[in-house]
Amino acid sequence: MFKVCLYRVRVKIFRGVPFHGSAEKPIEVDHHLYEFGSVEYYIKSSVSEPFTYLSISTPLLSRGVFPSHRLSPCTLRTIREISSDVLDIVEPPTDGYQLTLRLDFSKLPHNKESLKVITEVSSVQAVILSSQLKERLQNVNSWDMSQGMYVIREPFYVIRQPRKIVAVFPMRFKDHSDVIIATSFFQELMDVRSSGKWSKIPPCNWSPIPPPELRGELFEDLSTNGGFVSFDISSHHVEVKRLDKTVWSLLNFHGYVKHHVKCTRGFIQRRMRRRMDSLVQVLEKSMIENNEEIKRVKGWKKVKKWMKLTSKSKMIKGKYHDFTKKMKRIRFRVKIHGFGCFRRRWLTIACFSSSVGYSKLKKH
Amino acid sequence: MANPLKLYLTCVRNTLEAALCLQNFPCQEVERHNKPEVELKTSPELLLNPVLICRNEAEKCLIETSINSLRISLKVKQADELENILAKKFLRFLSMRAEAFQVLRRKPVQGYDISFLITNYHCEEMQKQKLIDFIVQFMEDIDKEISELKMSVSTRGRLVASEFLKQFL
Repeated sequence: MFKVCLYRVRVKIFRGVPFHGSAEKPIEVDHHLYEFGSVEYYIKSSVSEPFTYLSISTPLLSRGVFPSHRLSPCTLRTIREISSDVLDIVEPPTDGYQLTLRLDFSKLPHNKESLKVITEVSSVQAVILSSQLKERLQNVNSWDMSQGMYVIREPFYVIRQPRKIVAVFPMRFKDHSDVIIATSFFQELMDVRSSGKWSKIPPCNWSPIPPPELRGELFEDLSTNGGFVSFDISSHHVEVKRLDKTVWSLLNFHGYVKHHVKCTRGFIQRRMRRRMDSLVQVLEKSMIENNEEIKRVKGWKKVKKWMKLTSKSKMIKGKYHDFTKKMKRIRFRVKIHGFGCFRRRWLTIACFSSSVGYSKLKKH
Repeated sequence: MANPLKLYLTCVRNTLEAALCLQNFPCQEVERHNKPEVELKTSPELLLNPVLICRNEAEKCLIETSINSLRISLKVKQADELENILAKKFLRFLSMRAEAFQVLRRKPVQGYDISFLITNYHCEEMQKQKLIDFIVQFMEDIDKEISELKMSVSTRGRLVASEFLKQFL
């Protein structure tokens, strides 16, 4: 959604000429945009300056290594790599925001590549979140013990322990049946992990009560109906080639579970519908034999209809024959009385295919 | 079919064969009205003794008979929370579509999961034996369907969990 807004603002700035380098008449833009998960964007563009300023406020890792109002150098470096031509980081950021970017839309490519660049710029918030988590996970072997709560749409905890990092997800659902389906899923998750061939995967655990690592946290943050799922991340899971996948899996765990619950409900619904049809058919069998006589009567009516149709076709044939006769009479301008009989007797070609079915013998 | 289930269903079948002797009986209270007496219970002389058949504490069948109607209420086995919600969903799904079944009641009797109401009109339109077969088969199919649903949900959960954990490999 933010991507669409950013594109519309860009078009508005250039007055409906999105693919030209220079603006015909730059205009003032001052927009505040809000997204789920307490994310706020502030877009500002003025006539006096050729640049557009984009400020982002997003909940960051709190009570951890980094203060909650600043981004780490690693995160800033990752953001600069997005599109170095178009965006630049402004220091210090606007008051109340963690990051302010200076966008130069005149340097956007002149073709449809501009949409790709806008997409990358609009995903800055996701880059901030993932880079923070990557930074945390990269220092797995550090002996520094700390704890922080990661807040996106659904908060989860990242707890650093000796030689491992524990990610704890408090699970909350609106419906009781969702809780049951999700609980069944978590139990399967634990069962799959405990089987032999998945030993390289982070150990996962589900408990209905908060784990000991969360002792001391606020009661409101620990009140759930779906229990707590925890993953123990070790150095093996954050090697260079696996880090991105691990970060993606952790950031999207909540969404993954909710999608599974939704799909399971749909599956149950489809299954019930099919079963209902089969049950109704059983009942209908008890009614069919009683209505057999009615079906026979319906069959007799069908025969009558068919007979009516055939008689109609004969009538149509007869009418066609009369019509062709009339046309022939009109075409013959000279009428000779008795010529019709003469023509039929002497001028017609004999037809040898008789209804009796015998063939004419040749003279030897 | 396991023996205890077979005995339970045979008992239900025999009771239904005895109870499904219905005839048309106009309402004694209101002129020109014809109501199922088992629902109203206004005239005790028109009601027979209800029969409760229990397979165990969790599964039972209540058969209430009157002169012109019969009500069958079933309590279905629910071993755990998942079976509980699956049974609730499925039986509620069927009850909401009661017009497709004709003999199904929209709301189950209190204390039971699903109820049927058979009147003398149903007995005139449908064959008695086939109606009893339907009820017995329904009881059997419900148990089977809930078990299959539970297994399917668990299998799906396992597959999804495997796919999620593969991301870490």
